[in-house]
Amino acid sequence: MSERIVISPTSRQEGHAELVMEVDDEGIVTKGRYFSITPVRGLEKMVSGKAPETAPVLCQRICGVCPVPHTLASVEALDDSLDIDVPRAGQLLRELTLCASNVNSHAIHHFLVATDFVPEELFATAVDSVSEIRKVTQYVVDMVAGEGIHPSDVRIGGMAQNISELARKKLYSRLKALVPKVNAHVDLIISLVEDGIVIDGERQPIPKGLGAIDQPVFASDRIYGNRDFFDFDRFTEIMPESWYDDPEIGKRACSTIPLYDGVNVEAGPRARAAKFGGYTGKGVVAQHVTRAHEMKSYLSRAIEILDELNTSAPTLADFDIRGTGKIGVGAIEAPRGLDIHLAQVKDGKTQFYSALVPTTWNIPTMGPATEGFHHEYGAHVIRAYDPCLSCATHVMVVDDEDKSVVKDEMVKI
Amino acid sequence: MVLGTYKNAVSARATDKAIQKVSQDGGIVTALLSYALEEKIIEGAVVAGPSETPWKPEPLVALTSDEIISAAGTKYTFSPNVWALKEAVRSYGLEKVGTVAIPCQLQGIRKTQSYPFATRFVADKIKLIVGIFCMENFPYASLQTLINEKLNSSLSLTEKMDIGKGKFWSYTQDEELALPLKDTHGYEQAGCNICKDYTAELSDVSTGSVGSADGWSTVLTRTDAGESIFTKAVDAGIIETKDIADVKPGLPLLEKLSNSKKTKADAEIKSRIELGLPVPF
Repeated sequence: MSERIVISPTSRQEGHAELVMEVDDEGIVTKGRYFSITPVRGLEKMVSGKAPETAPVLCQRICGVCPVPHTLASVEALDDSLDIDVPRAGQLLRELTLCASNVNSHAIHHFLVATDFVPEELFATAVDSVSEIRKVTQYVVDMVAGEGIHPSDVRIGGMAQNISELARKKLYSRLKALVPKVNAHVDLIISLVEDGIVIDGERQPIPKGLGAIDQPVFASDRIYGNRDFFDFDRFTEIMPESWYDDPEIGKRACSTIPLYDGVNVEAGPRARAAKFGGYTGKGVVAQHVTRAHEMKSYLSRAIEILDELNTSAPTLADFDIRGTGKIGVGAIEAPRGLDIHLAQVKDGKTQFYSALVPTTWNIPTMGPATEGFHHEYGAHVIRAYDPCLSCATHVMVVDDEDKSVVKDEMVKI
Repeated sequence: MVLGTYKNAVSARATDKAIQKVSQDGGIVTALLSYALEEKIIEGAVVAGPSETPWKPEPLVALTSDEIISAAGTKYTFSPNVWALKEAVRSYGLEKVGTVAIPCQLQGIRKTQSYPFATRFVADKIKLIVGIFCMENFPYASLQTLINEKLNSSLSLTEKMDIGKGKFWSYTQDEELALPLKDTHGYEQAGCNICKDYTAELSDVSTGSVGSADGWSTVLTRTDAGESIFTKAVDAGIIETKDIADVKPGLPLLEKLSNSKKTKADAEIKSRIELGLPVPF
């Protein structure tokens, strides 16, 4: 006999979502559906018709976990639409900002999953380690991008200003000093994940293949992001009603389902590792391991950038604000996957704006990833994919005639 | 107290001839910030540096003594130094910042320190604030009027400006021009008329010409940080001092001017309140 297990809202993630699992007599999940129930904010509509500079400032407020990737994706999309070549130093500073921000974000995730993996005697050590890493990496974002949470210096055309030579040296030495700490942190996290998860107070090994899926990986770059990867013709977006086979869920889900080549995809650390590092692992363990390893990659890239950066070089390009009418693409590898913003500027105003954000790609993929195992692992599978729902929520149905909101049930939690 | 809280009052000047040559009076601001920089008490300072327009200062994040010296001398119009403090901490990467400020700027800086709204991790990095005695400050357009129209000179010819002996002075290569202070009234920033702080009471160390002889400055050390840096600079021979009690006109004049600013401001505040105008305090 089939039973339905509902976790609502799923916990220790950003935003609100629901996991609905059909289970058989043994409690094994036969059908998993994961969907966002976070209210719609409509930022894409807010930036339309306004000066292009408005978009990065508003879109960075999509979420407080990933403000940096959203700012970067926004300015990259506008750069593309306005046909701007960003100066080398500006590009390096943007990448440095992303590297630091992504290390910080991965560290936050380790804090969120700490109670799943970290035994009590190591808890203080793990939390201290997360705090120390976050402190240093946020300091980098503060100095390079002007502000740690909502960076003020990431601009259309590059970065508002270069950092001083003193700042470059300071950041270089601090990040160098952080290397052994991050290495130890990564080793700690990986060893704890390999030891297994704590369920009902008991540690048990993660079952082999838990959370593994066979969807195509969706990643544009190992570190920063590459707009050339995204091919508009291969992309489709469908409404949740036609994706979820349960009409009630289709009605309540607040995010569209993005498909690439007609199928749902997997984005994030494991997708990047599989595509650019030949990594073959899949599932919960693989997600945690590749995420932890990425902290090292980001850190070493950040140090490399600080080594190369010319602090007296220009960082901001001049540009013609009127625009070409081209739909620009900004593609940034955010912690949880590829963050794509699309922007079209014409007559000095943003005419069209759309954000295809990291977790949106993973939403249709995470539910099925719970299938084939006991439902008590369900929430752990979801957490391994580290969903962040705030930015992923994009559905609102309005009446074409009078623009009134036809469906308001989806904005109620 | 009419001069605010202070630990010690002296008459002082910088011993460095290079500073004396370019400074307004005793060169205390330049000497103190340079000394703090060299002793690594601060890593840099936000000062009122030169801009492309004559006598229109621009905040400069100075990382060397030469840059600090380039900003020596009083400019009688506003340099928005507070605005550059964040930049000094962020893109310049300074973790110990010094600055020079007039009383109204000090109010802003101290406010950011007690409630760092939008100055997260900035306010706590300000380690030394040298305050300047200030009766009033002129918008740039007022300076243009005073120099170009009232004194029939030009800002590009002006080499030094000063206020003293009841007059506003402008020095060019070969002329000494003076305007009675009463003719400058009405040209100051409107806010100056309700400001009750003459001696930069919220600074770490405050300084200005009033009370001391020409080429010397009166110095009030106010906080532990200010007292400590000033004493070290004196011990190191960077600054020489005279007992203020032996100096004419000395503190009585400073007290008189400070009192007069407070009294005038109180009257103006009262009249603005009567007119229903907003007064910030």
